[in-house]
Amino acid sequence: MTSQIFKQFAAIVVFVFAGVININAQQANADDMLQLVAKLQRLEAMQPDCVGPKYQLALQSLNYAVMNPYAPQTENVIAQAEEAINKMEKMKGADQSDLCTLRGFLFMVRIVQNPAQNGQRYYMDVLQNYEKALRLNPNNALAQQLQQKFLEGMKQHTN
Amino acid sequence: MKHQFAHIIIMLFVALSAKSQTTVSGVVTDGREPLAGANVFIVGTIDGCLTDSLGRFSFETTITGEATLRVTYMGFDDYNLTLSPSHPLTFSPSHPLTICLHERATAIDEVVVTASTYSFGKSDNFKTMNALDVVMSGNSCGDIVASLQSLPGTQKVGEDGKLYVRGGESEECQTFVNGMHVLVPYSTNTENTAVRGRFSPFLFKGINFSLGGYSGEYGQALSAVLPMETTDMATSDKFGVSASLVDWNVGGTKVFTNSALSFNAALTSMGLYDRLFTQRQDFTHPYRKLSGEAQYKKEYHGRGVLKSYVGYDFTSVGLHQDERHLSLKEHNIYANLTYKTPVGRGYTLFAGIANSSVFNHIDDAVSVGDHYCNFRNEVHLKVELRKVCNSVLKVQAGIEDYIRNSTLRFAPYRYNLDYNLLATHIDAQWRMVPKLFLNVSARMEMMDRHCQLMPRATLSYIPNKRWQFSLVAGQYSQTAEDDILAQSNKSLCQSTASHIILSMQYKSASSLLRIEPYYKKYSHLPLLHNGIYQSDGYGYSKGVDVYVENHSISSRLSTTLAYSFNDSERLYMDYTQPCTPGFASRHNLRLTAKYALGKFIIGIADSYATGRHYANGTTPYYNSLDANITYLLSPKVIIYSSLNNILGRTNIFRYDAAGNGITSSRDRFFYIGIFVSLKNNKAYDISNF
Repeated sequence: MTSQIFKQFAAIVVFVFAGVININAQQANADDMLQLVAKLQRLEAMQPDCVGPKYQLALQSLNYAVMNPYAPQTENVIAQAEEAINKMEKMKGADQSDLCTLRGFLFMVRIVQNPAQNGQRYYMDVLQNYEKALRLNPNNALAQQLQQKFLEGMKQHTN
Repeated sequence: MKHQFAHIIIMLFVALSAKSQTTVSGVVTDGREPLAGANVFIVGTIDGCLTDSLGRFSFETTITGEATLRVTYMGFDDYNLTLSPSHPLTFSPSHPLTICLHERATAIDEVVVTASTYSFGKSDNFKTMNALDVVMSGNSCGDIVASLQSLPGTQKVGEDGKLYVRGGESEECQTFVNGMHVLVPYSTNTENTAVRGRFSPFLFKGINFSLGGYSGEYGQALSAVLPMETTDMATSDKFGVSASLVDWNVGGTKVFTNSALSFNAALTSMGLYDRLFTQRQDFTHPYRKLSGEAQYKKEYHGRGVLKSYVGYDFTSVGLHQDERHLSLKEHNIYANLTYKTPVGRGYTLFAGIANSSVFNHIDDAVSVGDHYCNFRNEVHLKVELRKVCNSVLKVQAGIEDYIRNSTLRFAPYRYNLDYNLLATHIDAQWRMVPKLFLNVSARMEMMDRHCQLMPRATLSYIPNKRWQFSLVAGQYSQTAEDDILAQSNKSLCQSTASHIILSMQYKSASSLLRIEPYYKKYSHLPLLHNGIYQSDGYGYSKGVDVYVENHSISSRLSTTLAYSFNDSERLYMDYTQPCTPGFASRHNLRLTAKYALGKFIIGIADSYATGRHYANGTTPYYNSLDANITYLLSPKVIIYSSLNNILGRTNIFRYDAAGNGITSSRDRFFYIGIFVSLKNNKAYDISNF
């Protein structure tokens, strides 16, 4: 049910912003991504009881952080993502697989920020959260992609 | 005419459009400095913008009449400005708004009072340290007790290796796993040989080492408590092996739909090591320990969590000393079962049961031909109810029971001791005003109809995320050791200690500074009077602990400094006058550094302690320079090596009755181990189990 809500909401979000901002995080510049996060925060304020906006807010916040790990706003954006995830955890409709994906992504961002210090500290949390996300929902495409990216990164680092 | 009409229409549209587009502009500050990146918007719309580096914002909105302007910024309270038709939006660039945000007061369930406590692991989200960091600094060789001795407040007592905290005996520090008491948290060894902790730090997701001033939940500890929480349920199957000169391990986990079963088996033997490297002691039978552990965890669809643990150790060692052929055997079994579940209306219920059984058999313990047999057993039962009432109040209350039995046969001396200790506690954590927190608790213990009430309180001022100031005061109690209790025929009342601690902490993204002066006053300590123990002993311990952690020099380098000053005196046991106990050293310093270089992680540590005082002299200072190196050979193979006391200094821990210095069996200790993952796509997981 939640996944359905997520999908519908995600479609709306994409529709609303597609013409305004290039949603592709790989190409978007930091300011655009930050503006997107701010707009999602406004959308979240419009629908405080919905899981979907919180999911998108957390996801795009982490997207920003992983692309801009050392930007001045990054710590605030990560804290915002963490807050959104914590709120989702308390909501009955939240999808556990999506929550695990976000938690794994959060740890992954911390590793990207400081691989030397945080790699050994959090790599297991990243893997375990993605594994759990995929166990709960084997079709969770985001968890699959993030897990694959993380394993590729680990392979490069350890070989 | 048509053109004129068209012009009028266009003009009307332009006019209407111009009227409906209102520009909102201003500046956002925290009262002193502008806030960059604050989100300013009209509630219910996506009209808004982020403030620039000077805190300025400007955006257009079509909203007129009643509306709410909101400003949000992490760590600050939301700002809301409601505009009614009588006060419509009349912003313009010539009348910018000046908005001042106030820092958000921490909610009661978010606040973590750090006074006198060192937390590792991720029970409190992202910590600057975790168990791995501590273990890899210096050369603890995976021993949790040795790891914790890198912290201020702990003292180096090399002849037994146990935790001695702030001038207190090792027995004054008690260990809890998932809230349940562990009677004997150490492995065993012969006299004057350092022991290790029974548990691996990697079993736990959270380790909270409290050096005093702990809440009412914990009792039967005069100085410190070490509560540890086991990891959450594993998400995938694991299987791994490790081997070193002294130990061999195999461990794995099988994951089911909502549960996981883990096992671990280990054999520790000093036989090979003793043959390769010389030592001072004459072991007739090398130290050997066979361990087996199992865990079962089950999650009930995000509601309750069941955790169970059972561990068994069999230790044996033989030593030739002064005509004696000492032979030591110990069986130690510990099991616990806990269940935690929300029960509605914001309440959380916790229930647990734990059993510890330790059987010791020593031949030639004191003289040739004697036999020492000791059996100790403890059942710990606990029920607790916790509730976060609102953002300013959190309460928890519980009841627990310790059922203890101890028998000793050491001819001609023998006893059979049974006693029951019932305890109840209530804790309330209250945010009095924003930034000021009060934690009040009371613990009542009843033993043989003797009742003891112990009030405890912590007042904390947390002005922001960087600073924290706390004043802690409380009373703590503990029964005497079984031997003493039995000798006194249970007539001894509980020993008590009053703690007063002042704590100051500064924490930034890359550094941590903590300074904690403390004072402890002991009463009713067991004191030997004419061959009979009485509760007349007393003492004090005062000092200051300083801890500095830094990551700012390089992202690859982390350094720590832990310094403790301790001044303590007590009159207890067989002392004839108050004096500094033999285990206490006045100054303790430990410096550590850890550097990550590609696939290598290099750790180095130096420990220094001033001499300890004995009736027949003062020992020289203690110093040990240790190093370790970790190498990721392949994604599934890790090699770890460490060398203890690189400089080879012969440290004298204390003097025996004849005035001979007691030293460790060897000055240096070398360790090398290989860890291999046989399953899964990741490096060896030390927490395979």
